[in-house]
This record gives sequence, C-alpha cells and structure tokens, in this order.
Amino acid sequence: MSTTVEAQRAWFEQAIDQAQGDLPGQDLDWLQQTRAHARRAIETLPVPNRKSEEWRYTAIEGLLKNSFQTPAGEADAARVLEAGDWLEPDYPAYRVIIVNGRCIVDASQTAGLPEGATVGSLRAALATDPELLGTWFGQAAAHTDHLFTALNTALINDGIFLHLKPGVVLDRPVEVVYLSLGQEQAPLTQPRNLVVLEKGASATLVERFIGPGNALYFHNGVTELALREGAILKHCRVQDESRNAYHLSSLYLTQDRNSLYQGTTLAFGGAWARTDYQAVFKEEGARCELGGLYTVGDRQLIDFHLDVRHSVPDCSSREQFKGILYGKGRGVFDGRILVEKQAQHSDAHLSNDNLLLTENGEIDTKPQLEIYADDVKCSHGTTVGQIDPQQMFYLRSRGIDADAARRMLCLGFAGEVIEAIEVPELREYASQRLVATLNQSIQAAE
Amino acid sequence: MLSIKNLHVLIEDKAILKGLNLEIAAGEVHAVMGPNGSGKSTLSHVLAGREGYEITDGEVLFNGEDLLSLEPEQRARLGIFLGMQYPVELPGVNNMTFMRESLNAVRRGRGEAELDAVAFMKRVREKAKLVELDERLLKRSVNAGFSGGEKKRNEILQMAMLEPLLAILDETDSGLDIDALRVISGGVNALRSPERSIILITHYQRLLDYIQPDFVHVLVDGRIVRSGDKQLALELEKKGYGWIEEEAAA
Repeated sequence: MSTTVEAQRAWFEQAIDQAQGDLPGQDLDWLQQTRAHARRAIETLPVPNRKSEEWRYTAIEGLLKNSFQTPAGEADAARVLEAGDWLEPDYPAYRVIIVNGRCIVDASQTAGLPEGATVGSLRAALATDPELLGTWFGQAAAHTDHLFTALNTALINDGIFLHLKPGVVLDRPVEVVYLSLGQEQAPLTQPRNLVVLEKGASATLVERFIGPGNALYFHNGVTELALREGAILKHCRVQDESRNAYHLSSLYLTQDRNSLYQGTTLAFGGAWARTDYQAVFKEEGARCELGGLYTVGDRQLIDFHLDVRHSVPDCSSREQFKGILYGKGRGVFDGRILVEKQAQHSDAHLSNDNLLLTENGEIDTKPQLEIYADDVKCSHGTTVGQIDPQQMFYLRSRGIDADAARRMLCLGFAGEVIEAIEVPELREYASQRLVATLNQSIQAAE
Repeated sequence: MLSIKNLHVLIEDKAILKGLNLEIAAGEVHAVMGPNGSGKSTLSHVLAGREGYEITDGEVLFNGEDLLSLEPEQRARLGIFLGMQYPVELPGVNNMTFMRESLNAVRRGRGEAELDAVAFMKRVREKAKLVELDERLLKRSVNAGFSGGEKKRNEILQMAMLEPLLAILDETDSGLDIDALRVISGGVNALRSPERSIILITHYQRLLDYIQPDFVHVLVDGRIVRSGDKQLALELEKKGYGWIEEEAAA
C-alpha cells in the first residue's frame, strides 16, 4: 500500500521537477514563495484515494498510470490556426487562445478593449503588472488542501489575466479557448487564471476546452475569480476535450457585497473530467448561480464537486446540475452547501437531476446541506430517472419517430441549463452538441 | 375506414376487451359510452398504438391496412389522432416547436412538403383562434402548468393542425366547464367533413348535445352490447347503465 502511495507522490514530484526551467517571474518573491509553498504541500498532502469522501467515486489510478510532460515553450501559432474548425461557433468576442497551457498572442484578439480593462496572458502580466497580480494571486486558492491545485501552483506559468477597473463594463464576451494538441509525449497543460472584477464592473467570460482527435493529455487548470462589490460576471464553460483526455478544472470564487456570479458549465468530452467549484461569500447581499449539464457515455467519467460557503448573512445561491448518461457512462455529483452560524437569511437551493438512457449508466449523486444558522431558506433535491414512456407515447402518437422523440425530451430536460447561457451562439451550439451526442448514443445502442 | 373485428386485449394478464366489433365509415361520428372500467380508454390506446397492451385475438384494419402491426408514429402519419384524456406535460419542450415537428413529420409521411416557419405560424395562429387558446401558451412548454381546460384546447388545436382522417377523443369533455365544452365542441364540429371520422369516448350525454353523433355504442365489460342513434344516449342519461349491464349479463 505505502509503496503505491509513494509511487503516486513521486508522479507529482516528477511532474514538477521536469518543468522547472521555464517558469516566469523568478525575480518575484511572492511568486517564488507561493510556488515553494505548493511544492512543499506536494510532499505532505495526502494523495487522493477512494477512502477520502471527495475522491470516493473518482479514481486517479488511471490518470497516474500515464506519464505527462509539461511542453517547453510556446506552440507554433501557424500550427494552432491550422488545427481545425475548433473556433466554431464564431461570434464577436475578445479572444485569447491558450495552447497546451501557454497563451498564443499571435492567434489572440483583444484589440478595442475599453480603458481600464486588461485581458491577456498571465505570463505577460507578471512582467508588466506584478504588483496588481501579487495583490490578488493565490488569495482564493491559498489555503487549499487540493493536491492538484498545489501541482498547478508549484508550476505557475501562464494562463489568462482578466482585470476590470471599477465600473468597467465589457461590450463583448471574453472568450478563452484552451486548445490541447497531442504530441509524442502526452502534455500536462496547467493554465493558471486570475479574474478580478473591481467594484461595479461587469463582464461575460466564455471558456472552451478543446482537444482535437483522440489526443491524450492532462489539463489541470486553476482559476481564481474575485468579484468586488456589485460586480457581475457571467461565466460559461464548455468542456469539449478529446475522448482520451484527462481534465480537471478547479475554480475558486470569492464574492463581495451585492456581487453576482452566474456560471454554467457544459461537460461533454474527456475520458476523465472533473470540475471542482469552491465559492465563498465574503460580504452580504451576494448571489451565486451555478449551473451545469453533463452527458456521459462509454469510457467516460464526468464529475462535479461543489463547495459553496455561506459565511455571511443575506446571500443567495442556486445550484442546478443536470446529467444525461448513456452506454456505460459514469457520472459523479457532490454538491455541498455550508451555511455557517452567523449566515442568517441565507437562501440556498441545490438540485441535481439525472436521466439514464441505458441500463448500464451510473450516477453517484450526493447533495449535502450543512446548516448552522436558524433563519434560512434552503433546499436540496436529487433525482435519477429514465425517459418517461408516457411522454414518449405522446410524442410518437403525434407522428414523431422514437429517436426524434427521445432527442426532444432530452433537450427539454437540459433546456433550463442551456437557457441560462448568455451568448445565443453558445446556446445553439450546446443544443447541437447535445443532439450529436444523443445521436451517437442511439447509434451505439443499435 | 376503420374495421375492428373480434378484438381481445389483455393488460397484465387481465382481459379488458373481449371480442369487440366496430365498423366506422368515412365521415361518421361515433360515440362510445360505458361505465368505468368497461374498456373505453383501452380501446383508444390500442388504436393509437400505446405499449403495455397484449392483443390476443382479432384484427383492426384502417383503410385496409393492418393497424396493429404499425408503430404509433406510423399510425399518426396514416391519419389517426388520439386526443388524450390526460395529456402529459413535457417540461422544456416548446409547444410551438413540438407542433411544427409533429406537423412536418405527418406531412412527410403523407408525401407532402414541410411547412416553412411563416406558413406554419399563420396556420397555428388561425387554429389557435378556433379553439380560443391563449397564444402565449404556444410559447410555453407543452402542457406544463396548463389548466385542465387549456390542456384539452391544446389537444384540439393539435387535431386541427394535423387534420387526421380518424380522430379518437378520449373523454375530452371530462373536467371541462360549460364554456370550455362549447369552445372545444365548436373546434371539433369545425373539423367534421365527409372524409373525416370521429370516435367520441365519453361518460356523459352532455357532450353529445354539442357534437351530434351518427351512432352511439355502449361498451360493457369489453364488448359493445348495444348500438343505436342519439336516442340511446338520452336513454342512458335517464336510466343509467344498470339496465344494459343486466341485459348484457343475461
């Protein structure tokens, strides 16, 4: 047993050691300390295993069997642009392209940003804006006991930096495309993102995670989001990784007074894909809405972990996640809402609904409400069901064939989550992607 | 048009229809009445192709085709429409999108061109007016949160859109107040034509004041035990089903 744990820890240490050379900001004390702290955490934190509640249904053995390597340098912009039709759907946006963890400035498009808005490479900002970064960096993700966040932090290199000064409102969404290109040695790509919206600022952020073909890689991204008083962030995330990919997104959100965060994650791809959300209310009157849709088929595991902390009074949160499982797909949902003793008048509602299209799909769902205050409005609920034969009959009796009827019902099931997406092109894309997935599942069943 | 011969149907090994015969010609309106549990809804479901019924004997021909061998959607495309007693709610499925998919599926089945968005809108508006359905309900999810009367109007609207050859209306009158009953009957009457036949399944004579049937049948214990004209319905209203059940048993 202990040899296994040591071997697993060695995997993390090797991943760090082989990537040391290329890190930016080595002259910044705070950054070097942050990295060193994370490096020490790797040596001491327990390696996730099936006995720990957070990893009970999500084995990491398969991931650790592979050897991944942090790619050196930037990818070639020309090769990136040739990589295919990955930029669909196209719509007006400020666009940042990140390939294998590194920003590709030549392929990005951020011209015309309003004054007071910074959108671009974190690596570049470390050179130009180190003080501002130092103020915010690692705050939300500092006290983490998450081994994979420590792995990311130990190797902080590049990612996006989005900063809006007070009152700045972006007229277009910011879209960040994370493109993972396979190479001889399977890449470990670890974007590190920092998003800070100052008082009254407002933006829409879209993140798309893409891996063409069947490339094998491990995306281990960490995003820190800070919303100051009255700031509004609408955040849509589309996970379309390759079917052999490992994907872990860890998001750390802090919200000040009267801020609003609306996040929707669509998870379609990957062999093993997990999203960890931690949201902390720091001041009163803030609202957090987390939505998600996942489709899971053969040889796929998709996992969502939410940790929403009502630490102050008068905040509200909504968590609505829906899953469609087919083939031997496995889904995991663990949603925890903590309402601390002083957090009176908290309003929190969590739901997780799952549709099993086949007998062999599996979902492990665990909604948890932990309430220590006595004057709150909270609820949680979870459902696992199949397509209702009465609904199928109704549609078929109107001339609609069985496959089309099933598609309509699945789209209807997912509709609420998709409708919450701000960008119309992405709503349309989400519906199309869902239909394509359902068609695959129908073909696979035949 | 429709010929049902010696139909025997089981639900979970329990005999529900026990040798039912019924002949319906084009343009006719037939009312099927009977006490609870006599097999009225089973008849309508079996005709529309719902799962869960075991047909042990008999045949059903629709314009010469063996109806029982067809899938529900194939029957709909041949021109069969079932207005349901309890229309299900379809959360997240837009009513308008649903009706357009349905109409175009049926039109494709009939070898007709699909309607484009403009032509469809024109038609759905026109028909919604006919059944006095609030247009806002077209933009909502199918039947979700509709009142009982709204659900039934939505059924008749679909019938009006699809223009079936045979419409089976399963207790469309149940739970309706007089005003709704009048509107819905008006919708049905507007569709009466020499090519179109209608089966009205109902408990009550009341509906037949609004939609005049050509024939009235009484279904008792899985068989049609008596057929007549509208007078039979009035007689049933006065005397109940007891005397017919006794006669049938004798």
